[in-house]
Amino acid sequence: MATSALSLEHVDAFYGDSHVLQDVSFELGEARMLGLLGRNGAGKSTCMNVGMGLLGARNGAIKVFGQPVTRLPPEQISASGVALVPQGRRIFRSLTVRENLVVAARKPGTAGRHAEWTIETIFEMFPRLQERASQMAAHLSGGEQQMLAIGRALMGNPRILLMDEPSEGLAPQIVAEVMATIRKLKESGLSIILVEQNPNLVFDVADDIVILNTGRVAVVSTPAALQKDDALLRQHLGVF
Amino acid sequence: MTFWLLLSVNSITFGALLFLLAAGFSLIFGLMRIPNLTHGSLFMLGAYFGATFVNGMLGAYFDFWLAALMAAALVAVFGAVIERFLLRQLPGQPLAQVLVTLGISFMVADLCLMAWGGDPIAVATPPGLTGFVRIGPMVFPLYRIAVIGIAIVVGVALWLLLDRTRIGAMIRAGVDDPDMARVVGIRVSGLFTMVFALGAALAAFAGIIGGPILTVYPGIDQYMLPLALVVVILGGSGSLLGSVVGSMVIGFLYNFGQALFPELAYFVLFLPMLLVLLLRPQGLFGRFIP
Ligand SMILES: Nc1ncnc2c1ncn2[C@@H]1O[C@H](COP(=O)(O)OP(=O)(O)OP(=O)(O)O)[C@@H](O)[C@H]1O
Ligand SMILES: [Mg+2]
Repeated sequence: MATSALSLEHVDAFYGDSHVLQDVSFELGEARMLGLLGRNGAGKSTCMNVGMGLLGARNGAIKVFGQPVTRLPPEQISASGVALVPQGRRIFRSLTVRENLVVAARKPGTAGRHAEWTIETIFEMFPRLQERASQMAAHLSGGEQQMLAIGRALMGNPRILLMDEPSEGLAPQIVAEVMATIRKLKESGLSIILVEQNPNLVFDVADDIVILNTGRVAVVSTPAALQKDDALLRQHLGVF
Repeated sequence: MTFWLLLSVNSITFGALLFLLAAGFSLIFGLMRIPNLTHGSLFMLGAYFGATFVNGMLGAYFDFWLAALMAAALVAVFGAVIERFLLRQLPGQPLAQVLVTLGISFMVADLCLMAWGGDPIAVATPPGLTGFVRIGPMVFPLYRIAVIGIAIVVGVALWLLLDRTRIGAMIRAGVDDPDMARVVGIRVSGLFTMVFALGAALAAFAGIIGGPILTVYPGIDQYMLPLALVVVILGGSGSLLGSVVGSMVIGFLYNFGQALFPELAYFVLFLPMLLVLLLRPQGLFGRFIP
């Protein structure tokens, strides 16, 4: 496998007393895409939050390109090259579209080999955001908000992109657009974790698959292998 | 006629001072959700520090404006220390924050009494502003007009900072969603300290600027704090426009209330606050429910 971009090693995480992640380990390879699947409440978002530093891991380690970042605050993990497109988008609603992008701007790190993202290149990729540049972000449609959330994450010029259910609540046509964007990002060399509930969206684009079940890693596999194993999918994801 | 006009100018002047005091209070509450009950003390400290420099109590006499800036800077540092070392330890615990800030305000009051005694200290109007402006048949004290001008300049500067700069957008992002702000790399904790220090500096600045009008005396902290609270509740926390409107409303209610119904001055003052709290709890211009 390629060098590891992001790894969780034996991570335990809690919300208060409830033990939400139990001994979770997986690894995202450099320039690869890992599909993270699981039912509602399986712990997918919690993995993203732990990886981003929003929630501290009680045990275990998180590493970014081999460097431990366990228990670093989000702003430092962001500086180490990780960006998050959070579930529910969570754009800054009282900022304009342009301001949402500007506040997240960061020059690429020394190790960044990718083309630099700027507000201009983001607008090139999402022309609709440019048209609405000086509107309040709260007034955007769901699809536009998702694009803004992706653009905002890219403004940090990350090497690792965590995307938490970017298709949630969007019309099929918009989902297709978002997926096309994600594919482009992968081709640009970003290492990506794509969280989804619908495995079919992920099978098309991901290199590796991890399935969580009630806070534990249940399956580590590949799309090709899983597509042949309906029983396993049904066991951990329900019926599709 | 002249009486009413003069009362109006006094109301606006008082509103201007309140704005300088309340803008920081509002920003701190809006951004950090901290009900900073030391804000009156910061006003009083600014006034005492400034008076000390202006009146030559340290041996040297300072220019009024230089003294005002020095007082504001000192109190800004004091504010930053309170934020970093006390309030920072109590995130998301409003009751603890109320008690700590209230406690500090009592301690500051004691220390001020010890250092400056119980007698009011007069602060001379800065030379050059002692005169009067004549507008038609009316004469207005020049200094009061200057205070209004200063508040306008500060208000515009604050608006530019918050609305037109990247750092202002970062502050607003921190108000919107502190966690996401950190996720995109904004050092929210540094911004919080900065905002707290800025709010403290503004309060102190208001204290010394208000010196020639109000004089400086023990208890001025507890006199100003409730007024700032009412302004913020009325205008809505975190809203600059809310602070402007709230300050002016309270400036007028306070002055006219005292002139017209002296025995009901506080009633007139706090009634609108109760109404706003009942009918529109986020304040006239606020986005949040406190
Ligand atoms: N802030 C929180 N406080 C307490 N419990 C939480 C919190 N957030 C999530 N949980 C619980 O932790 C578990 C994992 O939640 P998580 O959000 O990671 O699931 P998920 O796999 O992302 O689900 P979904 O597909 O619905 O987004 C769930 O049982 C959830 O109820
Ligand atoms: Mg989730």
